[in-house]
This record gives sequence, C-alpha cells and structure tokens, in this order.
Amino acid sequence: MRLALTIVQALLLIALAPLLRGIIARLKARIQNRRGASILRPYSDLLKLFRKEDLQPATASPLFRLAPVVVFACSVAAAAFVPVLYAGALAGGSGDFILLVYLFALARFFLILGAADGGSAFGGMGASREALVSTLAEAPLLLGLAALAIVARSASVEGIVQWTLTQDFFQLSAVHALAFSALALVAIAETGRIPVDNPTTHLELTMIHEAMVLEYSGPSLAFIEWASAIKLSVISALLIAVFLPWGMATAWSAGALVLALLAFAGKVLAIAVTIAVVESSVAKLRMYMVPDFLGVASALAILAVVFTALMR
Amino acid sequence: MISTVLAFVLVSLVAIPAVFLAFGKSPTTRRAACGLLIASLAAGAVAAWRALSLGEAICLDLSAFAPLPFALAVDHLSALFLFLICAVSVPAMLFSSAYLEGHYEGLRRQVLWALMPLFLGSMVVVVTASTAFAFLFGWELMTLFSAALILVEGTDGERGHSLFIYLLMMHAGAAAVAASFFLFAGRAPGLEFAGLRAAGAAMPAGLRNAIFLLALVGFGTKAGIIPLHLWLPRAHPIAPSPVSALMSGIMLKTAVYGLVRFGFYLLPPGPSWWGYALLGAGALSGTLGALYALGEHDLKRLLAYSSVENIGLIFLAAGAAMVLAANGAVDWAVVALVAALLHAFNHAIFKSALFLGAGAVADATHTVDLEQLGGLFRHMRLAAIAMLVACGAIAGLPLLNGFVGEWLMFRSLVAGAALSKASAAIVLPAAAGVLALIGGLAASCFANVFAVTFLGRPRSAAAEHAKPVPAAMSASLALLAGACVILGVAPGLLLRPLAEVAGELIGSAAVPDGAFSIASILPYVALAVAVAIAAIAVLRRRARVTSTWGCGLPGLDERMQYTSTAFSKPLRKVFANAYRAERTVEVAPAGESYFPQAISYRSVRTTSYERALYRPAVDAIVAAAHRLRRLQTGNIQVYLLYIFLALVALLMFVRFA
Repeated sequence: MRLALTIVQALLLIALAPLLRGIIARLKARIQNRRGASILRPYSDLLKLFRKEDLQPATASPLFRLAPVVVFACSVAAAAFVPVLYAGALAGGSGDFILLVYLFALARFFLILGAADGGSAFGGMGASREALVSTLAEAPLLLGLAALAIVARSASVEGIVQWTLTQDFFQLSAVHALAFSALALVAIAETGRIPVDNPTTHLELTMIHEAMVLEYSGPSLAFIEWASAIKLSVISALLIAVFLPWGMATAWSAGALVLALLAFAGKVLAIAVTIAVVESSVAKLRMYMVPDFLGVASALAILAVVFTALMR
Repeated sequence: MISTVLAFVLVSLVAIPAVFLAFGKSPTTRRAACGLLIASLAAGAVAAWRALSLGEAICLDLSAFAPLPFALAVDHLSALFLFLICAVSVPAMLFSSAYLEGHYEGLRRQVLWALMPLFLGSMVVVVTASTAFAFLFGWELMTLFSAALILVEGTDGERGHSLFIYLLMMHAGAAAVAASFFLFAGRAPGLEFAGLRAAGAAMPAGLRNAIFLLALVGFGTKAGIIPLHLWLPRAHPIAPSPVSALMSGIMLKTAVYGLVRFGFYLLPPGPSWWGYALLGAGALSGTLGALYALGEHDLKRLLAYSSVENIGLIFLAAGAAMVLAANGAVDWAVVALVAALLHAFNHAIFKSALFLGAGAVADATHTVDLEQLGGLFRHMRLAAIAMLVACGAIAGLPLLNGFVGEWLMFRSLVAGAALSKASAAIVLPAAAGVLALIGGLAASCFANVFAVTFLGRPRSAAAEHAKPVPAAMSASLALLAGACVILGVAPGLLLRPLAEVAGELIGSAAVPDGAFSIASILPYVALAVAVAIAAIAVLRRRARVTSTWGCGLPGLDERMQYTSTAFSKPLRKVFANAYRAERTVEVAPAGESYFPQAISYRSVRTTSYERALYRPAVDAIVAAAHRLRRLQTGNIQVYLLYIFLALVALLMFVRFA
C-alpha cells in the first residue's frame, strides 16, 4: 500500500509536470490579455516531438544523443525523493536532500556537454551561462535545506516533513522565513524562470537554457523539455513539502488521500499563479545581475543557518 | 605471510631499477621488468588490503643496517595508504609502459624507468615508517626522486626555475616536518612512533601546539595548501604525464597521511582551534584552487590547481573532524575523518585518471592547451569515456566516487549544528556552504574540460588529425574509471574499513545512525537510472546527421565555437577579486587610441602570491645575507680572531653549561 502510494506520487510528479507548465503559460496569457493555448498544449508538443525525426549535427559524438536521456533519467530519479501526498517518498534516507540536489547537478553536467557537442557558439554560450547560474545557486540551495534539516533535527526530506507537520504554521521560526526566501530565489534560478532566465525567449542575447538546447530536435528535445518540466514540478513539490506540508495524509484512508491530493493541487496552483504574476510583471535581469540575485539568496541561506544556532 | 609479501614488494621496488639500468636496452627486458613491477605492486595492494583487517601491526626492524633506529610497520592507517599507493600505481605503471616507450628513448628512457619504482618505494617507506628517522629518510628520497624524474627532461628555460622552486619549497617543508619531530626529542628516545605517541600525551600544551603548527606548515607545503602551493602548478605540468599522475594522485596523499598521523595519532586530541586552522586552510585552498583551475587553459596546470582544491577539501574535512572531536561529538568526528580519508582515496583515483588522460591527449595531439583541442571523442573513444567518468567523479556527481566523499563531508558539517558551542554550531554548517560553492565551481570547471577537449569541433589541425591511443593507455584509464564507478555505486566496500581506521584514530567505534545511509540508497538510484537510460537507448530510432544550425550562414568553423577561456569568463568576472589579473594593454602608436596600428594585450594571473608573500621574504633573506657578508673581510687576522672567540665560547660552554 505504502509502496504503491509512493510510486503513484512519483508518477504524478512526472506525468503532470507538463500540465503545470501549460497552466502557467495559460495564466500568463490571461494576465497579458491574450487567449493563450490550451493547458494541455505541452502534452501535444511532447507527442509531436516524440513522433518527429531526431537530428544530429555532423560534428557531434554519441554523447549528444545520450545527454537528453541522462537528463530525463536523473529528473525521473529525483521525483522519487519528494513526498507529495503523505510524509514519505519512494526513495530516501538521511541526507537524501544532498543526493537530490546533486542529481540535478548530474543532469546539468550532461546538458552542458550536450550543448557543447553541437559545435556552435550558441551551445557554448548557454553552457557558460548555465555554469555561472548553477555554480552560484548550489550553495544557497544546500544551505537552505540544511537549515531546515538542522531545525527539524532530521537529515532526510521525510523527517523534515514529518516534523513540520507536527508544528503550528504560526509558530514557525525566523529560520523558516529566511530559508524559504533563499530557496524561493534559488528555485527561480534552478528552474530557469524570469527574472533569471526566460523560458519562452529565443533571443540569443538573453537566453540560457534555450541556448543550450538549440541544437536539439525531435525526441531528444522532447526528453529535455519534459525533464525541465519535471524539474519545475519536483522543486515546487519539494518547497511545498518542507514549508507547507499541512494537508498531507496522516491517516491511511481514501478520504485523507483525496484531501491530500486536493490540497496539493491547490498549493501547486498557488505557485503557478505566483509564477505567472511575477513573470508578467518583472523584467528579466541582466546576466551580470544574476550573481547579485543569487548573492542575496546565499546571504539569506547563511543567515538561516546562523539563526538555527542563535535561536535554540 | 603478509609481511613476506610486503618485504618482497620493497625488495622488488629497489631491485627492478637495477634491472632497467643494466639490461634496459632491450625492449623485451623492459617489458618483463615492467610486468614484474606491476605484479609486485598488485601483490602489495592485496597484502595491504589484508593487513587492514589484521588485529596488530606488522613490523620490519632494519635498525641493524641504519645509523639511527629505522623500522617499518604496517598498522591500519599505514595499510590504508599502502593500499592506495600500490593500487593506484598499477594503472599508472601500465600507462607508463606505453607512454615512456613512445616518448623517450635510449638512456633517458632507462633512467625514467629506473626512477619510477624508486619513487614509489620512497613513498612506501614514508607511509610505513614507524620511526622518525625512517619517515624523514623516505620523505627526503621522495622529493629527490620526484625531482630527478622531472630533471630527466632537462632544465632549459622555465623548467630549471620551476624545478628549483619545487626543491626549495620541498626542503623548507621537510625542515618544518623534521623540526616537529625534533621537538619530541628528549622525551622519546629513539623517536619511534609508539614512543612519540606516549610522549605526546605527557607534553605541555605549548609544545604540542608548536609541533602541530610545524606539522601543518610542513605537510601543508607538500600538500600544496594555499599560500604554500606555489610549487604545485609549476612542478606538475613539467613532469612526464605518468609522473604527474603519481605526484598528484599519490605523493600529495603522503602529506595527508603525515597530517593525520600527527594530528590524530602522535598528538593527543587537540583544542578546537587546531581544527579551525585546518578547516580554514582547507576552505581557502578549496575555493581559490577551484577558481584558479577554472581560469586555466593548460590542461595540466588546470589539473594541478584542481589538486590544490581537492587537498583543500581533505583538509577541510580533517579540520571538521578535529572540531567535532574537541566538542565532544566523537561519533560525527569519525564520519568527518572517514570523509577526509575517502576523499584522499577518491582523489588519488580520479586525479591519476585525469593526468593519465592528459598524457593520452598529449600523446595523440602533442598539446595539452585546451584552446587547441576539441572533438577528440571520435579519435579515442575508450579513453574519452574514461575521462568523462573521471571528470564527473571529480565534479562530485552522484553514482561516481567523488560524490560519496562530499556527501559524507556535508553530513558531518551539518551535524556540527548540534554542538553545544554556538561558534562551532555556526562555523561547521557555514563550511558546508563553502563546500557547495567549491563543488559547483569544480563541476563547471570539469564540464568545461571534457567539453572543450573531447566534444564539438577540433580547434587545431593537431586535434583534427589526432593519433589513436595505444591500448595500454586506454586500458589503464579504463581501470581507474571502473574504480570510480564501482566505488561510486557501492561505496560500502571502502566505507567499512575506513570507518574502522578512523574510529581507531579518534577512539570511538560508534558511527551515528544513518551516517552511511548513502551506501544503501545509491545502488537503487544507479539501477533506476541505468535501466531508464538502457530502455530509452534500445527503443530509440537512429538519428539523421545534419549540419549544425549556423543562422543561415553557409557554414560554421572552429573559430565560432566557444573556447575554454570564453566558457569560464562569466565566473571569472564574478570572482574577479580572487584572480587579481595583471592586465596590460599597449596601443601603438601611443596617443591614437581610436585608430591604432597594433594592440597588444597581456593578462597574467595568480602571481600575487609571489609578489605579496614570497618576494618580501626572499628580499629580506638576501638583505640579511648582504649584511652578514661584512663578516667576511678577507683579512686573516680577523678570521683568527673569530676562531679564538669561538674557542673561548666553546670552553665557557663546556665549563658552565
């Protein structure tokens, strides 16, 4: 039962990831006074790409086509670590949040290699920028999660969630406020959303992620797109789980699980609305402003860790 | 039985060089001697591994042949490092068999072959020595043999200067190590390790601090801790690639061994500031080493700076172990020390692979300048895949061995938050942030290394027409890469013996719950990822080959690709303060900045240590020497006066002291 549930929630994150993207795109369109495409549009995009032919540059090595698959496999593996409906996940153990962060690093490593393999300037440019963002994002991401682990006295995501469930929302400490601010900023950078990166642009001066995948087409592109959708849903689910887990099923009944699902859907929808509003109202940062943005996140994360020692 | 094998290994490491020198002219003899060398190293590795599980130390007393007490002993810590030396040098020697044959000839090749086993033998003496004399003997030989290996290629131009700096700094470091041993003198006759340990426990705190600081400087110099790293990026690139692999992969680890031997064995548990000193030195070296590596485009210099970074990580973890132990958290101190030892092990494996890979690249293209490489994957598939694994491992990516060490470091640093002292509870988790930054920088650096070397278009004719790599080179790279994968997926193999060694040193058999839980998670994650990749790979159709999108232009060429320098530019710009590059732009003719005829641009990095630290010290020494020269008047009466004064002083000393 437990195993089945954990598999279901991992599959949920994987299967519904494109839907989240569709919802955000639709909400953005609405805010910008456009009709917008159907929220199911990302699925038809994926289907179309999977049916298409795969193209490979003449200069590329076998790594070029391996990279999207590794990226996808890592994202899928990451989805297994995040609790969604109850305080548990398919995979886990103490220190699993470090592994989760590094699985994304593994995916990014291959994405950078794939980008460079195309042999054009775009790939290298995107890879170089991605390296900048990800290098600076890693420390606040790990420190923010570590601060929560310290407060919850548990080094696993599951333990943090279980501890948070026993707390009262209004009793949460300054550590949570600081860690949440840090992780929210990092999440924006990690998932490539405005103001760090613009997922819809194809203007070479501004793009990061899109420049890296410019050479990909067909199924390879589909894997990359799906993987980045999964990354968005996994990171959203992780933030929800460690900061706002209330509503997760604590008893094993169908009613509790349905309620948990509804609560999760509501929280994800709130995140989607937030992203849509922010992306419609904020301009993308200049590339060299991004380090400052992540510097703020790092400072907040360090403060969160310092406060864990000061507030006990 | 084990002691016989170890004695055999030592004898063969001394005897094989004689064979190379005497009969090394014929290729058959060289091949046979090389085979014997590899076999005896492999036997040594097996014996060392067995010695890890033995209850007591194996001793070999050679005092009868030496002027001072000289004994070798293999306790658990020694066995661990002995295993490291023997196991990692097997692929390095396999690689040498192809590299030395292809790149050198005549007497030079024979001498190189003869020096290799001697160099390995000196390192074996260092890690198994159980008296101060034996340790210093091995330590000095290690420096001399490695310098001789560099010297074989001559001392023309910059090489001579680099070699001089190497020897100078090594001897300064050796002096500090010797001084730290001599501070024990009078309290431990014979200077045997067991006696030193007993004396260390009964010492006043001030003396212990002095010993620790001297050891930190001495071993820090050998390990290449910033700002004592000056020799490292100079000496490693000028050595033949297999020698660089031995120096960076193994020789630096003897410094780690020495530090652990002093800090956790000879001296009793120290105050927390020892730990903070180590931790601070490690964090500084780690961050700056990673940044300097990122800014390099000479592959071997880049790898040398990356060694500075990784040694920094090892020192950081060892420092964390000291802080944790000093604050009563001995169980987590064991985990931190395991992390340090494991990272030393991992670094030996992947850094050897990377230096050997650099050798393979140099063999195929005659250059290690990243700006000249590219697209080598198709010329050297197996070597490239091995290099991919090594780059991933050093970047700390999961499912490879580097990740496990970093994971353990994170765990123990974050666990430091539970310490009752607020300063420790803040510093240790904050150090986890530094660790994450270092990890991020290393990942970017090595993604760049692999991408620029093996992927994309070739950036020069040499890279375009690269020679295939000899099978022995590919095989040795594959061995090391295989070790990275096995230890990355099933780290339990090494964690258990390491935990025993660390527990013995710290004095706690217990390890906290879940401290090694990664060992049980990783196999499943590896399985899941492998199955997913395999399934997709089987199901996919073939791709159609087209040309790269060139914005509608007729074609792209290699000059339109990103280079290594371009790749690292954003990060170098953000961390500009760490580089302090000296830039000079000269516009000719002067004064006409809008219509110049020629512009020359020069940018030199990382010389600030020489300027700010070493130059004043050297100037002071030279000035003092000048002043002392006044004693040398050339007048014989004055010299007679000196002799007379010395005689009087000596008589006074003998009478009254």
